[in-house]
Amino acid sequence: MPMQRLVLELAMAAAVGGLFHLVPAPAQVSPTTEKAAHVRITKGPEIERADPDFAIVRWTSNNPGGSPEHYGVVHYGTNPTKLDQTAKSPIRINPAHSYTVFRVRLEGLKPATTYYYKVDAMETNGNSDRMPSPVREFTTPR
Amino acid sequence: MLIPIFALCMAALYVTLPARKVAGQNADAEIPAQVYDPYPHGILPSDLNAEIGRVRRELRVLEGRALERWHGLQPPILTGQPPTLQNTGTEAIETLGELMNYDQNISPNKNRACSFCHMPYAAFSGPIPSVNLTMIAYPGTVHFRAGKRTAQRYTYSPFFPVLQYNQVQGLFFGGNFWDSRSTGYLLRNPDAEQAQHPPVDTGEMGFPDTGCIAFRLSQVEYRPLFEQVWGRGSFDIKFPPETERICDTPGGAATLGRSATPIPLTPEDRTRANIVFDRWGQSIDAYEQSLQVSAFSSKFDAFLKGSDKLTADETAGLKLFDGKGNCNSCHLDGRGTTLKRGQTDTGAAATVNPLFTCFGSANEGLPLNPRDAIYYQTTPDSYGFTANPYGFGYRDLGLGAFLRSSFGSAPNPNASWTQYAPSTDGQMQVSSARNVAMTPPQCPTTEAPGPYFQKEFFHNGYIKSLKQLVHFYNTRDKYKYNVTSGHCPAGTTEKVDCWPMPEVRNNIDMTTGNLGLTDKEEDQIVAFLVTLTDGYTRPYPNRDTFTGTCMTGGSSKTQGNESLIPTPKLPACAAAICAVQPAPNPTVP
Repeated sequence: MPMQRLVLELAMAAAVGGLFHLVPAPAQVSPTTEKAAHVRITKGPEIERADPDFAIVRWTSNNPGGSPEHYGVVHYGTNPTKLDQTAKSPIRINPAHSYTVFRVRLEGLKPATTYYYKVDAMETNGNSDRMPSPVREFTTPR
Repeated sequence: MLIPIFALCMAALYVTLPARKVAGQNADAEIPAQVYDPYPHGILPSDLNAEIGRVRRELRVLEGRALERWHGLQPPILTGQPPTLQNTGTEAIETLGELMNYDQNISPNKNRACSFCHMPYAAFSGPIPSVNLTMIAYPGTVHFRAGKRTAQRYTYSPFFPVLQYNQVQGLFFGGNFWDSRSTGYLLRNPDAEQAQHPPVDTGEMGFPDTGCIAFRLSQVEYRPLFEQVWGRGSFDIKFPPETERICDTPGGAATLGRSATPIPLTPEDRTRANIVFDRWGQSIDAYEQSLQVSAFSSKFDAFLKGSDKLTADETAGLKLFDGKGNCNSCHLDGRGTTLKRGQTDTGAAATVNPLFTCFGSANEGLPLNPRDAIYYQTTPDSYGFTANPYGFGYRDLGLGAFLRSSFGSAPNPNASWTQYAPSTDGQMQVSSARNVAMTPPQCPTTEAPGPYFQKEFFHNGYIKSLKQLVHFYNTRDKYKYNVTSGHCPAGTTEKVDCWPMPEVRNNIDMTTGNLGLTDKEEDQIVAFLVTLTDGYTRPYPNRDTFTGTCMTGGSSKTQGNESLIPTPKLPACAAAICAVQPAPNPTVP
């Protein structure tokens, strides 16, 4: 019995002692970082996958900075001179990365159809990243 | 030195365990007078009643320890200007919150406490492996009403700021709950407001009136501690005779009508009862923020201080977490994300204690989980209450649903936020990655073949292991199929090389989904996640209270797949969710 009490007291002392540790300061929210002077595509844009009704467009740029969340934006259509449809997908900027991968989902496509597209990006507050993009094309499978 | 102290503590805690366990056994037997069972065969786990009884017995052990802590507390001295409970005031309010957290009196049938769904050995998340494997939401005070989402971990929830919209960033951050509906708009503390929801949630503890919290607290053994902390006049409330009957009746009962305040209190007494209700939330927040719960005692914390080293796999996992996996773009580790562009991560200690969340929200594109108990509660229970008249027409739009104040969430107190609903549909809170891997000591992992403790991950519990969690982030878009869960094509294996379509396709976060991680790299990230488990540098309080059974066998890749069921053909999203303005864009099928 005394041994049990000793063990219990030691445990209680350890537990109560823990109460008096300082609670550390909480971590930060995602920072807004310095915006890049120029944002350039370094890889792509290209098709990551294409299904009869769905595609993912992917490209890499230097890190655009700014708001922690950006939208990758794809302007697309079946006429290369009239890219009248827009898709956008959110991604999170990683301030420690020198590059940023954008990926955008295109839903509701038609099978066996050639689409033309170019890409852009913007902060979630609407500010464009001014990312020059070539027009590319892909064809959905049957 | 740490190990012997840990061993002593564990031994001592076990000394107190058996007596309490036996004392509570009869009282915890689950013999409901009426059972609400709208569930098809196989939806409720077969051991549900036994497991409910097991958790209730464990609650009594925890309650007993909290009572011992209270009785061992040196009374604080009220002094100074403004008056302060000197010396032990902090421990007093933390202990009060602890007592409340384990108190089953705070439910109409006196059978549910907050921690019924949030036990310490699971880092204060769901304690029943079979529930985590099947119905994912926990059964409330009425057998068997249940909620709709997984029980979030308490750990580090008090550090989330008041929900706000950052105009510059164009982003919401803060709040508590998966859908951030506990904003903190009144108490300026979302965690305290979070603690106010379950006691009056019809699917959980289920009181019909917030005044019942004051009424029941006025009768509890630890009332003197409440009065010591919050003032002797706290319970000077004249409860009318019918209060007991009303508080014995679960929320949503037809006999109580539609009033949110069926207890006929005078305006003055209603104000006093509201104050007690606020004190309830604030006291529980104090407990959750204390080192009893949010302990900062993980191996990673020791690594940051330079007092411990990570293994080769853990180090590789950390590098992947920050690099190829890009996990820390939202689960901030306090290191890389504090750097300016162009700087390199030197691996130096964090200047702040990382919480592994950005306090934000994201739609990760989880498939609809057809086992979720909410889909089946489509008929009235014996009280005339129907939790979900829309059945499989229910869609979980997360933050978007809250901003619209639509079905399945709570009223949004800020009309200026409603316009942002379409850009937040499907988004759920980014949980702290800390303690995602915590399990009871006797089941030392979340991963099959174990022995393992079956947990559930993400808001709808679709994911059953950390391996699957990382694999989902890694391959969601690579192995995307236009099917619902339970219908992956022949030759594929769900969760391995087939991911069913997302429940909500709007606003899917594309930071992840095709990361190109190898199988080994996935394992290394899992190894790193385990270093975020508290209890490494000192014992994690009450982690020893699990008296259930570990699971064994199988593979973490397909863990829980034996419980998959085919999703029925889905009706259109209910108008009460998807036609509330501003409507989702594009429409949710």
